Amino acid sequence: MNFKYLATIWLLALISAIAMASVQPRSRTATEPAVRSSTEADAMRLEGEKRFRANCGRCHATPQKFPPRMMATIVRHMRVRATITDEDMRLVLYYMTQ
Amino acid sequence: MKCRQKNTRYRCVWVSGPLRSSCFLLLVALISVPLLAQTPSERPVPILTGTAGYFNFVTAGQNQLDAQINPVLLVPLGDRWLVESRAEFEGAFQRPDGGGPYGGGVSKNLDYAQVDYIANPYVTVTVGRFLTPFGIFNERLYPIWIRSLQQDPLILPIATGSSDGMMLRGGFPVNAKANLNYAVYVSAVSSGHNNLESDRNVGGRMGVFLPGPRVEVGASWQKLLQDERSNAFGFHFAWQPTRLPLNVHSEYARSNQGSGYWIDGAYRLSQVPFLQKAMRRLEFAGRAEQFFSGQISSDEAQALGLPGANTREGEFGLNYYLHDGLKAVASYGRQFSYDGNSNLWTVGIAYRFVVPLGRVGSQ
Repeated sequence: MNFKYLATIWLLALISAIAMASVQPRSRTATEPAVRSSTEADAMRLEGEKRFRANCGRCHATPQKFPPRMMATIVRHMRVRATITDEDMRLVLYYMTQ
Repeated sequence: MKCRQKNTRYRCVWVSGPLRSSCFLLLVALISVPLLAQTPSERPVPILTGTAGYFNFVTAGQNQLDAQINPVLLVPLGDRWLVESRAEFEGAFQRPDGGGPYGGGVSKNLDYAQVDYIANPYVTVTVGRFLTPFGIFNERLYPIWIRSLQQDPLILPIATGSSDGMMLRGGFPVNAKANLNYAVYVSAVSSGHNNLESDRNVGGRMGVFLPGPRVEVGASWQKLLQDERSNAFGFHFAWQPTRLPLNVHSEYARSNQGSGYWIDGAYRLSQVPFLQKAMRRLEFAGRAEQFFSGQISSDEAQALGLPGANTREGEFGLNYYLHDGLKAVASYGRQFSYDGNSNLWTVGIAYRFVVPLGRVGSQ
């Protein structure tokens, strides 16, 4: 099997993944994934800190917290650079902006 | 990045047949994905960030003064787009053989200038000039405020640098205990321009991250599409124990240019029971590495930035974090090579800056 056919299969698999993802409902905002109560908010902060240490700490020391609009840009940049998952990005952003 | 001798012609690669059709379908699918809502208070703002540093590198008794600044521009557009770019300005000055005043030039490189489209939780599409995703050092550990030791690993020039073309990448959970990340790319332009070096190649990287033990393992592959169609492959490993302030990274790479490995560790002395205020800012770092010459001549290897002969190296150093993003560094290494052994001393300071290019409000 040559490279062109492998690449075709790869791209078709990605299209399937996109199709699956596009039918999932998404109404929440970028930094507030469905927070309903203070207990849940506390749990999310803890989980966000855990994800932050697991993902960001792999490469660099803990940075200071920046205002939410700056953190939104930084986390988007790091999502691309470090290929962190969508859920990790949301929780890290939530933790870093609370 | 090191100097490379390359073909200076610009050539483009056009995909054909089923691959082109798949690309079209992919783009159509990407456009159909719904967008996320963002409130004005959390809308991302453009940022100018980057690093600046000054170092003294003493290699085999030869002192080199190195000053560099690496600005990074981040411009988010809407909910899913990001334009990002990094340039590298580096001045390296040393005395000529026989004495005299310090002299040297300033190198200017465009490391990346890319447009990212976050299509969905699984796929980000990148177009433009991007850092070649081979191993982890080039993409993640290269900035001077991040790397634990300022000397480049010996195998860094193998299959890394920058590429011009298109890339698909992403990371997603496979299950509750493992995340998968990938990058696959086509570099369509071969350029030997001094500031915009790149090769024609295809390649990919895949890694598995286990958040529980904080372990990542992965593999990279690249096929050169120049006159020479050689393959390169590599493996990477990263581990951050949950109970220790320790970071361990390692890479192995193999190509016809040579092969080798490096492993480094950085231990933050935050758990030391005395002088805690100072100790928690102090980091001890060490690296062991080895390079084996490949099928190219010594001169060709050195033109690529690789050692000209089989080489072993050990290095250890101390980093002191004066402030968030500001650290003083000092290290000593010993290189054992068929070309001769030498000592490597490094002293310097690295700084990371972040400046918003718009109103950010209060935190």
